[in-house]
Amino acid sequence: MRSPVKAIARSARAERVLTSLFGLLAVAAGALAIVVGLGWLGTFRSQRSVFDPLLAEWIAANPQWTKLIGIGLGIVLLVVGLLWTVRSLRPERQPDMLLSSSAAGRLKVTSGAVTDAVSADAESLAGVSRAKARLVGSAEEPALRLYLWLADGTDIRRIWQTLDTDVLARARSALGVDHLPTAIRLELDTSKPSRVS
Amino acid sequence: MRLLLRLLSTVLGLAVAAGGAVLAVEMTWSLAQPGSREALVPWRQWLATVESYSWSREPVLWLAGGVVALGLLLLLVAATARRKDVRLSDPADEVVVTTSPRTLARLVGTKVRAAEGVSGATVVATGKKVKVRANGRSTELRPSLAELVQSTVQDLPMPRHPKVRVAVAAPKNSRESS
Repeated sequence: MRSPVKAIARSARAERVLTSLFGLLAVAAGALAIVVGLGWLGTFRSQRSVFDPLLAEWIAANPQWTKLIGIGLGIVLLVVGLLWTVRSLRPERQPDMLLSSSAAGRLKVTSGAVTDAVSADAESLAGVSRAKARLVGSAEEPALRLYLWLADGTDIRRIWQTLDTDVLARARSALGVDHLPTAIRLELDTSKPSRVS
Repeated sequence: MRLLLRLLSTVLGLAVAAGGAVLAVEMTWSLAQPGSREALVPWRQWLATVESYSWSREPVLWLAGGVVALGLLLLLVAATARRKDVRLSDPADEVVVTTSPRTLARLVGTKVRAAEGVSGATVVATGKKVKVRANGRSTELRPSLAELVQSTVQDLPMPRHPKVRVAVAAPKNSRESS
């Protein structure tokens, strides 16, 4: 069962890890270059060419191997970079909900149908000015993310108490499921009331 | 910050992919057409330039410093791009409720501004602390405002209530309590 905590927001862990690794690599490489350049590892090293003479000699002696290694490295970097970019740009998955699966077939409810119904139901609560629902996770382990915008002066505790017994209980009942991990986000609505002339 | 992290991550991914593509194309071109000009970028010239520089040269040290600064910036963005949710108590199993610090601040601010004798207030809230700075006719308002803020916060269904700090500024003097 998917944890409702995971449904609070889209995870940025992959982006955070990759960016941190890149940052660490940059700090380590830059610091090492400074240490070598300032002569802390010996004056001889600091006077050597940035393009190491030993490496230059090996490249000159093995041009074919150098090019083949370059091609392989280039392809690896290209694939890794593209996967990384696609992972960062990919929109969050909104799975359809699998209600039953048997030899006779699978019964699914589309993500849009579930979220429209839950949003409309939540908006009918007194004090809720807007609602937006979203199914996240996978078809086998879906979770619900529900944003509720409350009108100014709404009693948050009352809304909090009725969420599970009203909105979510009805959603679970309508979908015929016992469990629906849910993360709810409460916000005060910032929209000003419209002026009537 | 999370948006910035996603943007930075995308740019870094694209940069890695572009670097890899250029490297693969140039090496393949060089393998297929030995001795011919470069296909995309003048990498032989770049290599000759790098070869002419030693580690102790000033441009190399400046560039290394820039790379360190860029790395620290990336680490900073990655470390600070976290959600600052205020967690409310769970109303049931498998249901979690959160709100934003801004919502908490607005809730408290609305109550404080509506209090008698208060002409204005600024509220800064996190899940751990609520700081109120009110402008009123007298600093004597402080105990009643502190009580009001405390009761507003206590009324919220939270597993741990934030600490409250109230300061009242009146013309020419101010007092603070926590």
